[in-house]
Amino acid sequence: MRLRTLKLRVFAVPVVALTLLAACGSDGDKDIANTQPGATGTVTVFNAMEPEEVTALQKVVDEQINSKVQYKATIEGSSQFEEQIKIRVQGGNPPEIAMYPQPGTVVELGKSGKAIALEDMGFNIADMEKTFGSYFMSLGAYNGKHYGVPTNINLKSMIWYPKKAFDAKGYKVPTTFNELITLSDQIVKDGTSPWCVGFESGTATGWPATDWMEDIMLRTAGAPTYDKWVTHQIPFNDASVVKAADQFGRILFTPSYVLGGAANTTSINFGDAVAPMFTNPPKCMFNRQANFIASFFPKTAVAGVDYDWFPFPKMDQPGDAALFAGELSVVFKDTPAVRDFLGRFAGTEVQCASGRSIGTSRISPNVNVGGDCYANKQLADASKVLTAALKANTARFDASDLMPSAVGSGSFWTGMVKYVQGGKNALAGVLSDIDKSWPTA
Amino acid sequence: MTATAVAAKKEEERKGGWFVRITIVVVVLLWTIPTLGVLVSSFRPEQLVDSTGWWTSLAHPLRDAEWTLGNYRSALSTGGFGNAFLNSLAVAVPSTVIPVTIAAFAAYAFSWMNFRGRHLMFVAVVGLMVVPLQMALIPILRLYTGGATLGGVTVFPDLDLGGTFLGVWLAHTAFGLPLAVYLLRNYIGSLPSSIIESARIDGADHFTIFWRLIIPLSVPALAAFAIFQFLWVWNDLLIAYVFLGGSHENRVLTIALADLVGSRGENWHLLTSAAFVSMALPMAVFFSLQRYFVRGLTAGSVKG
Amino acid sequence: MSSSVQTPPRGPILVPEPPPPGHARSLRATVLRVVGAVMVPLLAVGLLWWTLDFLRDSDANRFLVVGVALVVGVLGVFGLFWSMNRVVDWLPERFQEGARPYVFVGPALVILSVFLVYPVINTILISFKDAQSKSFVGLDNYKFVFTDESMLRSIRNTVGWIVLVPLVAVTVGLAFATLADRLRRGEAVAKSLIFLPMAISFVGAAIVWRFIYSFRPEGFGTNIGLLNGIASGLGHDPVPWLQERPWNNLMLMVIMVWMQTGFAMIVLSAAIKAIPDEIVEAARIDGASEMKVFRHITIPTILPTVVVVTTYMVINALKVFDIVFVMGNAEANGTEVIAERMIRWFFIGDNNGRGAAIAVVLFLAVIPVMYWNIRRFREQEAIR
Repeated sequence: MRLRTLKLRVFAVPVVALTLLAACGSDGDKDIANTQPGATGTVTVFNAMEPEEVTALQKVVDEQINSKVQYKATIEGSSQFEEQIKIRVQGGNPPEIAMYPQPGTVVELGKSGKAIALEDMGFNIADMEKTFGSYFMSLGAYNGKHYGVPTNINLKSMIWYPKKAFDAKGYKVPTTFNELITLSDQIVKDGTSPWCVGFESGTATGWPATDWMEDIMLRTAGAPTYDKWVTHQIPFNDASVVKAADQFGRILFTPSYVLGGAANTTSINFGDAVAPMFTNPPKCMFNRQANFIASFFPKTAVAGVDYDWFPFPKMDQPGDAALFAGELSVVFKDTPAVRDFLGRFAGTEVQCASGRSIGTSRISPNVNVGGDCYANKQLADASKVLTAALKANTARFDASDLMPSAVGSGSFWTGMVKYVQGGKNALAGVLSDIDKSWPTA
Repeated sequence: MTATAVAAKKEEERKGGWFVRITIVVVVLLWTIPTLGVLVSSFRPEQLVDSTGWWTSLAHPLRDAEWTLGNYRSALSTGGFGNAFLNSLAVAVPSTVIPVTIAAFAAYAFSWMNFRGRHLMFVAVVGLMVVPLQMALIPILRLYTGGATLGGVTVFPDLDLGGTFLGVWLAHTAFGLPLAVYLLRNYIGSLPSSIIESARIDGADHFTIFWRLIIPLSVPALAAFAIFQFLWVWNDLLIAYVFLGGSHENRVLTIALADLVGSRGENWHLLTSAAFVSMALPMAVFFSLQRYFVRGLTAGSVKG
Repeated sequence: MSSSVQTPPRGPILVPEPPPPGHARSLRATVLRVVGAVMVPLLAVGLLWWTLDFLRDSDANRFLVVGVALVVGVLGVFGLFWSMNRVVDWLPERFQEGARPYVFVGPALVILSVFLVYPVINTILISFKDAQSKSFVGLDNYKFVFTDESMLRSIRNTVGWIVLVPLVAVTVGLAFATLADRLRRGEAVAKSLIFLPMAISFVGAAIVWRFIYSFRPEGFGTNIGLLNGIASGLGHDPVPWLQERPWNNLMLMVIMVWMQTGFAMIVLSAAIKAIPDEIVEAARIDGASEMKVFRHITIPTILPTVVVVTTYMVINALKVFDIVFVMGNAEANGTEVIAERMIRWFFIGDNNGRGAAIAVVLFLAVIPVMYWNIRRFREQEAIR
């Protein structure tokens, strides 16, 4: 069942997203919903954000929304989001709005009738597709109706490097994977391990490795094959997946490439993994991680001086690909206040304000939010890369968040851990195990 | 005590003294060192916590750069801790008192009253200890928010208990009851039957016996369970989250702590201090109830 | 034990109830009694309802809520029992003996039925349904439980947990309680330090053990975990403790032993202290060695308590989940346990059916423990 909806979802993506994106700048400033009469009461927005993020976003909401309306919107973050939201929704006590990082769950909510379709609340889907791109909108669609409003997006295809030491050595930012390998060899020759890698993340250990796989898959096999992979139209041990894993293995298993050796990476916390990049001299030159990793950097490190990032380089496919993750806001209680809040919150004005707030570090999925809305160059650059890839229809959502959770939050993580620990010989077994774990119904 | 007894006691202390003391010290050290690591770390600056082992600071106890109160300052200044503390108290105190009372009555009945199926009923109650509370949360929340009907008849009224203290107390009461009944039944059931029988002969009914005789005799057991239940509730995160929520007005201390750290764990060094802040009250409770475990209390209360 | 405790004091504290109504009583008294029988519980319920309404108001002042809650918790619950007991007093005499036990156990049974029995039935039901609890799938979920490689490993690991953790925790707890009892000074402090881990929330405990097991390979800085600190002090390479199969299972069990020994120690210590001094002294005067006193007096007297503590530990070990859950990817490390699988499938794997079927396995696993308990209690009642 799940499989079918995923297929539907992916094939419903019109390739015209781009043209629309380019065209919408002119009328983009109008909010996607008008102020509702009788919008009073409270709106609770439940999500998985970090505490600092919640505080910063609440401030934006207070200034931009609560001060102008008759209701009060509260942002509530939880480190236990996944478990909590499931209990609250199934227990009949959901918040008004929840921001889901996993589109697959949003589709399930639509299917089970727990979520309220945007169409039924009077949102103009055509307008929204212009604002957010139809690929992102389609991720939360089931049976022709849409259940999720994109309210956040973050770029995963980023490689961070210690800029000062990197420049001092005379290294050049690579634009192709082969250049990246050549440069890595050069760094080894210069006596440093090029890569800092950490896959440990408690119970979710292995997820950073799935991001690697996805980034490479998107660039070796291309977006259409990536979509088939996500929906299990090709087996998980398909030749294209094997090829991507082999490329990943070139980084992992080449001697001296990975600081501490590949087998240890599953014991190194992904947040701790960046530390050697900031010693003097740095013990490694690269760390591939999403934009949030900057919050793990030493507080004294200055963006653009001590560190910077470049996009994950091109591989076999032409064009700039981008792997991203994000949130879809789902409505559980349809009130005038909720409609009004969503309209304002996803609108350009509030999104721009939230981009400008340093504490939120949020990138807006709203394409009308220009680069000048962002607090720093790093975020603005990331948003530029995202927009470009969305235009080329080569931007894809994190595959593990789209796959059924038994795979995407289970066997895929575990399988990657086994691959990293077991080396190249373990690959065939790992991929076929993941394939077998795919739910049949 | 006779002279021989005194001599025997002396003898015993001479024999067991050193062995006892050394064993105790070794076990205590083993049990304390893990916590000590966090206690030491809670007074170290963030960079040091992350770059050298906590034991290295013990080598320089007087060096100023090794120590700081910053972790405590930033954990406590994050805001909302006072409110969270009060909420924890509002959750924990009734969630301790109510199950103790209900369980004591039940334990008395299971020990000293005759009714059909009491063994089976008792074992069923104790067996319920195994129910993982995670599996119970969704059904309970559904009762709280919508009640339950069976064939059109309301079997559980819609009390709208979601997000209320009462809802949390009832849930904690239920989850604490099996252990409470079990512990108290073990204690109350082992009281000598002669006491109860002579009280019956004097014409006392069950209620009087229970309230005037059993309760005073059971203070150590009641205190022991009260401590466990209080600690359990105080440290609980899940039930409070589900039934009270994580909003700033309603959240309890454990949720405030979890929020402090964040889901990716960037601020985990703050936990070192926060963990000790949240331990303060439970430890105070423990120390204040400790005297109930003193030797001879049971016998003394009977001797009058 | 019974020999040592004296007859309870008679007189003032045991006031006999007034005699039950006889035929000679006037009609007015009967009416009053009936009205009273109805009014007292009604008033009690009314009062509880009113406070309930107040307590439901989440905007109320926290101090006031705590105060009212305390009053309701102590007086309200007591009043409930008291008034129910009164109602039974007014019943015809031949029903009184039969009804009274239910006054005592009734509230506990009602609460447990609603909060635990009903969820158990619900769980059993959905264990026969599919992932979304929509349609029945027969025994499919159970087939998964007993064939999946990771599930089988979790069952094996859980057996290890329920044997080793109670064994070590109860043994250490009992030994410590016995030895601490013989200290002349410092008993309270020593016991408190063993008990300390119970006062730490799980979030805190996770940090505590991070400072023990933390691992950093060459290049990622000094090891801040105690074990690896010792290892490098001895000139060894750091070890990823939580990845070393099968020892990582033991590493995790150590955490639970650390957390739970305090419970065993406190309960057993209370039981040891309840042994009347006279018995122990008499044995000593008769020349019994300390070991003999322990084996022939202490152990038999506290045996019921040892059973209780062991049962509790076994059930807790059966339910262990958070330790395994936060200390790494259990499936990759081979440290799965039953309850951890249950949570994973139910909440993360989005499969209600499988999660529930695993929970049912937990329910079934407790039956032998309970059977053992029934037998113990029958024996206890036969001899007291």
